[in-house]
Amino acid sequence: MKQIFTLFKKEFKAMFFSPLFYVIAFLTTVLLGITFSISILNFANQISNAMMAMGLGSSQQQNIHYVVFLPHLSLLNLILMFMVPALAMRLISEEKKNRTFDLLLTSPISSVQIVVGKYLSLLAVVLGLSAIAFIYILVARKMFDFSWAPAILALTGIFLVGAVYSALSMFASSLTENTMIAFFVGIVFNISVWILGGFAELVESTAMKAVFDQISLNQHLQSLVEGVLRLNGVVFFVSVIFLFCFLTERVVESARWRS
Amino acid sequence: MIEVYNLCKNYGERKAIQDINFRISPGDVVGLLGPNGAGKSTTMKIITGFMAPTSGVAKICGIDVFENPIEVKKRIGYLPEAPPVYLDMTVQDYLNFVADLKLVESSKKKGLIEKALQKTQLLDVRFRLIKNLSKGFRQRVGIAQALVSDPDVLVLDEPTVGLDPKQVAEVRDLIKELKGQHTIILSTHILPEVQATCNRVIIIHNGQIVAEDSIDNIEKLNQGLITVNVKTKKDLMLISEFQKISGVHHVEQMGSASYRIQIKDEDVLDLIAQQIIKSGAGLRELTPATQNLEDVFLKLTYGQKEQI
Repeated sequence: MKQIFTLFKKEFKAMFFSPLFYVIAFLTTVLLGITFSISILNFANQISNAMMAMGLGSSQQQNIHYVVFLPHLSLLNLILMFMVPALAMRLISEEKKNRTFDLLLTSPISSVQIVVGKYLSLLAVVLGLSAIAFIYILVARKMFDFSWAPAILALTGIFLVGAVYSALSMFASSLTENTMIAFFVGIVFNISVWILGGFAELVESTAMKAVFDQISLNQHLQSLVEGVLRLNGVVFFVSVIFLFCFLTERVVESARWRS
Repeated sequence: MIEVYNLCKNYGERKAIQDINFRISPGDVVGLLGPNGAGKSTTMKIITGFMAPTSGVAKICGIDVFENPIEVKKRIGYLPEAPPVYLDMTVQDYLNFVADLKLVESSKKKGLIEKALQKTQLLDVRFRLIKNLSKGFRQRVGIAQALVSDPDVLVLDEPTVGLDPKQVAEVRDLIKELKGQHTIILSTHILPEVQATCNRVIIIHNGQIVAEDSIDNIEKLNQGLITVNVKTKKDLMLISEFQKISGVHHVEQMGSASYRIQIKDEDVLDLIAQQIIKSGAGLRELTPATQNLEDVFLKLTYGQKEQI
């Protein structure tokens, strides 16, 4: 446990104090800020139109999630898809390149601890980016009255997807010594988990359709975004995370058995 | 302290080391000597648990490296070929991280970091980023890293590579200073380094141990013969003349009018000188060749190849 924390602390510091993180956080803030203000203006217009047409604003509560938060969070999802590989690319590939991996592998720390420590640090940074997105929702609350639960659940959904990206990107980073390759492979992985769900539209048999539906990130995220917490969705996310952390651990461990 | 039995490692088809056996007792400073590519680094990587052997057993303090790697790694300080430093950390932060990683007790941590900085003379640069340090300093940070957990066993893979002569001397002094406190195994292809720092030497060639003994005994390996270099004024091909002298063991032509002669004792020198003068070749030089590890080393590693 202590070992995991030691590594977590080091990785978190390295990521948090790197200019890259600030560039990404800045871009995230700007992009989210632009789209959020546009969609909230849209929403305000819609309400006033509805009020003029019908004389009441009852549609407000069910709509803010769709009109404002949904585009907000899908943009965050898009940002995470490309930015998590950028944050994760150095995690393992650079250790290999700079030979600091030798230090880790000859220290009293198991490969599981190495992977968990690194993964948690990445998760903490993703949490930071999600927190930026949450600020906008917090501000919107000042202006509109809406229920918290669906908004937070939707954000949790995006964070879980971010956690899946983190696992995929970390795995990509473990495969190569080159950070650029790690970055692009990470993006390819992240995009392919979305494409995988798209196959559901292409296949004919209902059985295959069901399989693709179940492994579709989109399907599971959709329910969370709509404010429905389903166990199979959570299990799916956790399994994918676990699978890729496990694969990363295998790659780390394999360093011992190769030259 | 360190026990290695029948260690083998194959990289695909290539056999990096074959059937290596040795034992190192506590407090010894052992030099692992061999030409480049002999299998020194591979042996060290296996001892530190960095790499698994194809077959064989390695034990540190009686603990099997593969059955209980975590326990073994707590007792080892390892300096790989390239110092494993994080470039974007300061020296102080880096040592702090390594100390945490090696599970150093927090009460002892500060003192051990100070000690490591002091021994490697890094106190002046402790707050500088490692990426701004020169190669020699980085190498010293690497050594400090190995020392910081105050391990029982120090494994140093070519500790003086990339250092300037002054720093090399300092590192050698440091190793001498550490003698007795730690069991040290260091690899090198530089012979004087072994002579300066180690009390035992293991010579590896083509993945096999070709000699293993104390330095003094190894130097005697040349069967107590004295080697002298002889130069004459004229090149009269005196090899057969020399060979006739009793007490001459071996004669080798080193160039025109230059010979290397192995003799049994110093009295033979007179006979050689007489022979040269008698032949009219004209004696220009008669010097004893320094009889040391270098000869043994070359004989064991280079000479062997010719025999094969």
